[in-house]
Amino acid sequence: MVKVTFRFENGEAVEAFATSGEDLLEVARMANVAIDAPCSGNGSCGKCRVKLLGGNLESVQTRHISDEEYAEGWRLACCSKVTEDVEVEVPDIASAYRSRMKVADLSSPEEIAIFEHTKQDVEEAGIRLENDMDILNVVMDEPTLDDTMPDNERLMRAIKKLTGCRQAHLPYTVLRRMAAVLRESKFDVQCVIRRSKDGERIFVYDIYPKDAQVVAGGLAVDIGTTTVSALLIDMLTGKVLGKASSGNGQIRYGADVINRIIESTKPGGAKRLQDAVIKETINPLIAQMCRATGVKQEHIYRMCVAGNTTMNHLFAGVDADPIRMEPYIPTFFKTNSLYASDLGIDINPDAHIIVAPNIGSYVGGDITAGTLVSTIWNRPEFSLFVDLGTNGELVFGNSDFMMSCACSAGPAFEGGDISCGMRATDGAIEACTIDRDTMEPTFQVVGGQKPIGLCGSGIIDVISELFTTGIINPKGKFVREGERIHRDKYGMGSYVLAFAGDAGADRDVEITEVDIDNFIRAKGAIFSAIRTMLASLDFDVSMIENVYVAGGIGSGINMRNAVNIGMFPDIPQEKFHYIGNSSLAGAYTMLLSNEAEKKTYEVASNMTYLELSAVPGYMDEFVAACFIPHTDTTLFPSVNQDQE
Amino acid sequence: MPFNRKPQKFNASIKEVTIGCGEKAVTLGGESVFPFYTFDGDMKNAPKVGVEISDMGIPEVAGIKAYYEGCTTMAEIAKKAAAMEGADFVCLRLEGGDPNGANKSTDELVAIVKEVADAIDVPLAVEGSKNVEKDAELLPKVAEALQGKNALILSAREEDYKAVGAAAGLAYDQKVGAESAVDINLAKQLNVVVTQLGVKPESIVMNVGTAAAGYGYEYVVSTMDRIKAAALSQGDAMLQMPIVTPVSSETWNVKEAMASEADMPEWGPVEERGISMEIMTAAADLASGSDAVIVMHPQTVATISKMIKDLM
Repeated sequence: MVKVTFRFENGEAVEAFATSGEDLLEVARMANVAIDAPCSGNGSCGKCRVKLLGGNLESVQTRHISDEEYAEGWRLACCSKVTEDVEVEVPDIASAYRSRMKVADLSSPEEIAIFEHTKQDVEEAGIRLENDMDILNVVMDEPTLDDTMPDNERLMRAIKKLTGCRQAHLPYTVLRRMAAVLRESKFDVQCVIRRSKDGERIFVYDIYPKDAQVVAGGLAVDIGTTTVSALLIDMLTGKVLGKASSGNGQIRYGADVINRIIESTKPGGAKRLQDAVIKETINPLIAQMCRATGVKQEHIYRMCVAGNTTMNHLFAGVDADPIRMEPYIPTFFKTNSLYASDLGIDINPDAHIIVAPNIGSYVGGDITAGTLVSTIWNRPEFSLFVDLGTNGELVFGNSDFMMSCACSAGPAFEGGDISCGMRATDGAIEACTIDRDTMEPTFQVVGGQKPIGLCGSGIIDVISELFTTGIINPKGKFVREGERIHRDKYGMGSYVLAFAGDAGADRDVEITEVDIDNFIRAKGAIFSAIRTMLASLDFDVSMIENVYVAGGIGSGINMRNAVNIGMFPDIPQEKFHYIGNSSLAGAYTMLLSNEAEKKTYEVASNMTYLELSAVPGYMDEFVAACFIPHTDTTLFPSVNQDQE
Repeated sequence: MPFNRKPQKFNASIKEVTIGCGEKAVTLGGESVFPFYTFDGDMKNAPKVGVEISDMGIPEVAGIKAYYEGCTTMAEIAKKAAAMEGADFVCLRLEGGDPNGANKSTDELVAIVKEVADAIDVPLAVEGSKNVEKDAELLPKVAEALQGKNALILSAREEDYKAVGAAAGLAYDQKVGAESAVDINLAKQLNVVVTQLGVKPESIVMNVGTAAAGYGYEYVVSTMDRIKAAALSQGDAMLQMPIVTPVSSETWNVKEAMASEADMPEWGPVEERGISMEIMTAAADLASGSDAVIVMHPQTVATISKMIKDLM
């Protein structure tokens, strides 16, 4: 047994015990010390740096640590074995993911308008936005010495009489509190209830005095691989009360679903990943929204979750390992057996959790929920639905058929893997133009303040502008020089959007060749998936009538620029529609409407799934698309690069 | 019913690229049919054979040593290589420039290049050290030293195409070899960025890479085949450059060409195996669409040039 002390930059320390030969990163995880490791401890990302303060580690020096740094005591936690008592410093960079974890209120008027709009679309498609939650005013006779019926029977009898149901269920949480509430309000109370579909049974979630201000809250959550977003709504009016978003706490266990699944199979891993998404991510989001709106957490009575198949499984604490192994069979596509108390979610313990259904191992509930609000299932013409997430997912079809596929795009659309990347929160550059001659940028920043970084829509603009002004070549390499073009000692170019003095941070806001390369790969994955799926159906891009674009890329997305860089097919602008976070909108709609929930199950069971990895030509299509706009320029007749 | 021959005619053709000067200059490309489909149309120029020599001297292969016997200077080696039966051009490979190997200086290597260029009248190709940083410095100097020789500079890659492409293709008017790793799209992308530098498509020759036969070779076949198909049937101008394939640097390093007869008695004499690997790979490269191959052994040069003659 050896002792390992983790010291943080703020002076705090955590002590842990380990057996000799154990991986330092593993020891840190066991001790719940948060060290960022997007590659899940393969030694490939170099993010899990720690500095030796005392003792020694048996470490492999990787390419991420220079000789100088090694001499100073820098080690990669994943490449170090503990052999003796040791003290290490965990620098801020290793816990940098915390900054991405910042809970942000994303309820800008534009975002809310997008939700209202999708809600309308769904309603126009014939879905009634009604659910079974209700608040009843129940009046009972006060008990006397002659009327000695106990409180619970009294309440149930009154409810049956009021509603005509045959059965009413009072959970323990209500039973425990009802005596006081009933007496305080002289047996004239409000009950938050939910009817069963046939109206025969009633579940009583809560009981309030007659004149209390009661909100029957509902919670919609989109669990993205990179970002988690949530909505707090009023179940009766459908009004959005609050919205919040944060990085997914699981990020430090791996940037992609495969690394997370691998992590979850280690001892205690499933619990750690579940805690990371629920205790560290969703619960703080709930607390934040409740604080902002004054709604009590226990007054949230129903929850809907939309996420990809892996996220659903890790959220539910269900073994996700079979998802990554042939023949890729998940434990569930849909389930209705989850309750808040089972999972430790800080809302009413009896709240039922509904989950948007998965279609395959790699097309999950986020897509079925998104497809629901895109309403492509209600149109005769062909539409394409694209969700730009860490996994890019596509659905193509119309009212007669729908086909889906998924491709691995990486976190670039949400600002991950980009040196100055960030979510579309305050300080993010969301739109940009660059002057051809002076190479000076003009940009728009979310919140109107000084720029801190770039969100997805900003990155699209910057790359498109750099390309059309001839600053970068189609490979994404810098070919012009100037004050704003920097080169590091290896010759890698970057373009400075805002010098440190003009930026809201203490470093330049820039985009590097590596960033551009990562983004080109992400857009290449999307475009090649579109081409491959259409080709498998013998369709041409000209047959697409509408393109619905969803994802956390930012509402400022400029479709012209997205076409310029070869992310979307070269079809007229007006066919593109940005529908925001459609997964969250779908979860919201499912929460609000029984019919929408039912429709989503129907959509899921009617959709076929194309496994891109099984299509021989996909890799070729991908490489061809990793070029601006595309290796085959005839696919982009409207895109021209200004040549000198 | 009588057999009715339907020639496969294309309106497009592979661009012609000439290397070298004077009457010994050779022209690569020009065909508007698939490789050796002379029954469909004219190939215009026969595929060419280059002989590889190295700044590191004569390799330890008995047949090659015997051929170059008595040669002590690079000039003598080069002359002898140029005189090989069936040889169309000489390719000088500067493998000694590799920083992880002999790490010869650029000046030293440029002097060798000049010595070789002055000794021969057949066209010259110069291949770098394979190290990107070194080649970015070395090959522009080579291009400068060879002014007026119309040499082929191998290779400009994605990492160093700006330095190599600009020097060879723009400043010193040589021919640029654009090297990519066995992928049609990567080959095309490199041609696009090299031409965007201002290098004329007529000055570019592609090296799309090869493997020794049996080492994932089907990728090579498919890549070359699809490049020719796109160039001819779709008229893709960014894939119409002729292809040159250095063969010997791949084939003489595989175990079939290296394992001694003592270790592998059932495989037969080691040199025969090496020659077989070189011939098989070069023949397959030509059949897949290469407009020139670069080989090393005199027997290979003789065999491949005879094959080309017989098939034309």
